[in-house]
Amino acid sequence: MTTRRFVALSLPLLALLGTALIRAQSPTPPSPSPAPPAGAAPAPPSQPNEVTLELSRNQRAKIRLAIPNYAATGFAAAAGSAAGNELETTVRRDLDFSGYFDIQGPEQLAGLTLSGDLLRDRDVYRSAGSEVLLAGDLREEQGKVVFEGRLFDLKSGQSILAKRYRGSFATARRIGHTFADEVIRYLTGGAGFALSEIAYVSERGKIKEIWLMDYDGGNPRPLTGHRSTSMSPAWNHAGDGIAYTSFVNGPPGVYFAEVASGKKRPLVTSGSLNISPSFAPDGARLAISRSVGGNIEIFSADTSGGNLRRLTQSAAIDTSPAWSPKGGTIAFTSSRAGNPQIYLMDEEGASQRRLTFEGSYNDGAAWSPDGSEVTYATRRDGRFQIAVTNVVSQETRVITSGPGENESPTFSPDGRKVAFTSRRSGIKQIYVIDAADGANVRQVTTEGSNDMADWSRPK
Amino acid sequence: MNRKALTCLILAAAMLPMFGCPKKKPATPAQDLNVDTTTVQPMAPNAPATDVPEPMAPKVDDQVEDRLLSADLQVVNDELRRRGFAADAYFQYDEASLSDETRDRLSKNADLLKGAPQLVLIIEGHADERGTNEYNLALGERRANAAKDYLTSLGVAEGRLRTLSYGEERPACTESAENCWAQNRRAHMVVTGRSNG
Repeated sequence: MTTRRFVALSLPLLALLGTALIRAQSPTPPSPSPAPPAGAAPAPPSQPNEVTLELSRNQRAKIRLAIPNYAATGFAAAAGSAAGNELETTVRRDLDFSGYFDIQGPEQLAGLTLSGDLLRDRDVYRSAGSEVLLAGDLREEQGKVVFEGRLFDLKSGQSILAKRYRGSFATARRIGHTFADEVIRYLTGGAGFALSEIAYVSERGKIKEIWLMDYDGGNPRPLTGHRSTSMSPAWNHAGDGIAYTSFVNGPPGVYFAEVASGKKRPLVTSGSLNISPSFAPDGARLAISRSVGGNIEIFSADTSGGNLRRLTQSAAIDTSPAWSPKGGTIAFTSSRAGNPQIYLMDEEGASQRRLTFEGSYNDGAAWSPDGSEVTYATRRDGRFQIAVTNVVSQETRVITSGPGENESPTFSPDGRKVAFTSRRSGIKQIYVIDAADGANVRQVTTEGSNDMADWSRPK
Repeated sequence: MNRKALTCLILAAAMLPMFGCPKKKPATPAQDLNVDTTTVQPMAPNAPATDVPEPMAPKVDDQVEDRLLSADLQVVNDELRRRGFAADAYFQYDEASLSDETRDRLSKNADLLKGAPQLVLIIEGHADERGTNEYNLALGERRANAAKDYLTSLGVAEGRLRTLSYGEERPACTESAENCWAQNRRAHMVVTGRSNG
């Protein structure tokens, strides 16, 4: 597997180059415009092929990936070619949005003189700066779409990954997501999130239901049909169940829905208020907030709803618990210091300590998948923004700016993205941005008013 | 009306000596009635019956009926408000404590509720749209309970008051402006029934 080593080895090299470049330009901050890579590639100087060193948070340079148009054959019906187009678009959007790639699509490759023979063409691609080529082949067989995706290392000319999928036209998006994650896993060693899903609240005609969608907003579908106000969906770690808050039986209570069957059952509904569930990683317990004679406290409970244990004892509001992904710690909101702030405690309620000190209103914590950070809504200069705080160093960064009442953030399963709610367009919609710096904003919902995203956990 | 009756009475009293009082007639001695009980015949089966009229059914004047006794809860709620009951008690931003004005409103409500001890209420807690939905549900719960606790402290039986937090989910006013937000930070009180049926 020499080719694989090539990719693996060249990435740190590029990262080093990037670091050197930043040092050389210091104190000027790295410019977003393409910067020439100080004699990196034997590229002719006249060509527009500077390597863009857009450094991600871990200082890894993007992989330059060429994706020419897929070959498509045998599509009898429009539905088939539409499915093929959807598959092709899905792969490209997934790879682009992952942030790992600098993609050269058909538009960027249009000027190249290609023979169609990859072994002969690879130098042409390389001269345009590409490192890896993704070739797709689509065809219809017996009413199903068949897709073959291949990766070629342009330096060696070798095929380094080949996958074949078959499914009904309706599975086109899913095939695309599956292949995109394979590409990411192969080229970066990390797990992608193209197959992940987001649970959220969609308000349509004064009714709020829990919905599910692909991470990119595709395939939206309702999970509940209570025709009431349902909110605060929370995935379990197995990804087969969602706890949520609903007014379906009067006072707000915590309910559970099986994702596959859609079956619902009450979890904790006694008393006047039970809200904001969050699952422990073992899936056997969950944390909720519950009213004790009008005072809201954090409790843990079995997933049967029994064995309620009170974890907080303050006269103020204690709410919105978030169980850490590896267990052991619960983040929550408390107004015990006069206004809402994020606190941490262990899962038995001991060692309660304040985490956030900047801003007069910090609420709605959600953990990064590795448990090192929490993201939450923070009020700065009278506006709600999304912040990320390291739970050990307490170092904090605010990753949104401007108006829009940004709130309800949730990390992607790989920790590199944050989905959140914003009213920047006038209506609440869900957006996804880079967790590092808020870059690469993408709106993922459009129909109705949408809020309270919870991204599924890593598989 | 009272004054008129009084005048009449005085006039009558003044005229009384003019007419004098009728002399009492000497009682006539009682005469034995010669009734031969044997002459009373049993009634013929088809003898005509005397019609007995129904007792008078006075018409109920709606203006006089106590509207708080109406079966229509909308009528009851409207009547309470007409008598000065405040359906909403307002709060400051991110606060569940009671201002003086809010106490005054609740105090008036307590008086009215003590005068109609059969009424059962729900106290809804609401918040404005700022802040997160979850925190606002908690805030609404505290506001509803702050209102309930104060009414209870003034002598309204606790069993008559139920709380329900809606957070920011049921705004009274939907614009994003302070005058609208202020209307949404409230404990909303509604009669929902009667304690004994």
